[in-house]
Amino acid sequence: MADESPYTRKFRKELMAGLSSLVLLAVLARAGREMYGYEIAKAVKAEGEGGLIFKQGAIYPVLRSLHALGLLESRVEASAFGPPRRYYSITDEGRRALSDWQGAWHDMREFVDDALAAQMSLRGPTLESRA
Amino acid sequence: MKTDRPPDTVRAYLDALRNALKGSSPGLISDALADAEEHLQGEIASNPDKREAEILASVIETYGTPQEIAEEYKSMETAIAGPFPKPEPKPERHHGFFSVIGDARAYGALMYMLLSLATGVFYFAWAVTGLGLTAGFAILIIGIPFALLFIGSVRILGHVEGRIVEGLLGVRMPRRLPAQTAADERIWSRIVDALADIRTWSSLLYLLLMLPLGVTYFVIAVVGIAVPFALIGGSLASLVSGHSYVQISDVPWLEHIFHTAPGLAFAILVGGALVFIVLHVAKGIGWFHGRLAEILLVRL
Repeated sequence: MADESPYTRKFRKELMAGLSSLVLLAVLARAGREMYGYEIAKAVKAEGEGGLIFKQGAIYPVLRSLHALGLLESRVEASAFGPPRRYYSITDEGRRALSDWQGAWHDMREFVDDALAAQMSLRGPTLESRA
Repeated sequence: MKTDRPPDTVRAYLDALRNALKGSSPGLISDALADAEEHLQGEIASNPDKREAEILASVIETYGTPQEIAEEYKSMETAIAGPFPKPEPKPERHHGFFSVIGDARAYGALMYMLLSLATGVFYFAWAVTGLGLTAGFAILIIGIPFALLFIGSVRILGHVEGRIVEGLLGVRMPRRLPAQTAADERIWSRIVDALADIRTWSSLLYLLLMLPLGVTYFVIAVVGIAVPFALIGGSLASLVSGHSYVQISDVPWLEHIFHTAPGLAFAILVGGALVFIVLHVAKGIGWFHGRLAEILLVRL
């Protein structure tokens, strides 16, 4: 993680900016119940082979914006002692968005994979030198 | 994160996050702080055997540094229109002396000043009674739960006052009760936590301060409303009926004013000017008290 270059960090961040919404909708749709932030953070598998893919803290602003867009519902459960928890659950609109976005993601992935494959055949194994 | 020592307590983390978010909208800041506090306390609750500093060190790796989190919230706010409560549109600044007559803020402040006598007396009585009983019960078995109850009540009163201040003085205050310590902490550590929390003490100070402040505000408001209207109403009545209702035997020039038509007209003008001055004063007091409430009631 520490040896990652600033460009790579920026690139990851930009990738995650859109995709984290998709991931969070998917997690909440699969759970089929309301979950609170910490629970969601634990449910999202945030680590990949290259280490931490994104910071757990980044999911909270995404949850709030999804809520503001009407894709999630939220409810705060106050407790007399201990911080109140904000529970999120997916709305019908959120489910529709999820299936649309899944389609968009598959198209995008195919497109990117194709582009990378073409690149690979042009440049040969130099791309591997990064890993 | 490279210049500062990484925060090793939840409070330090939240402070660092608040600092990193400086300049963002208050709604965004309170959302970000609430999310971070919820997460950090969740992390602490699920690792009861670890020390707070240890947990924070690992949390900064997984959750993100305050700076990174601040970035996330800021970019999220700019990326998606409307996800966070937007700062209220700034009302056009009226700087004219007379435009205060149409300024809702001035009337709100005047209302607050009238109300503050009642609330001030109540807060003061509550705080003093609570403190006294807590001290008295301290040697009994019910001392600890009572202290806890009292501290809770101070926070709730602080919150209620915050709502009043926001409604009448237009200062944004927290929309929900302040979060407290993790739910599964023992009762004793809750008390220690609450005692170590500067907010508990500053809220208590606020409740006590509200008595003298409330009395002062109330007197200013009542005098400020009564004097101009007495001047205007009394002088008008004198002009219309031709009788003078004011007897000031020791001050001839003042007596003169209330016995001649030009003098009475002048008194009406003075009364009218006083209405504006009082509204300005009320606005000023409202501003001052809003700051005070912000400092003492909102978590520092």
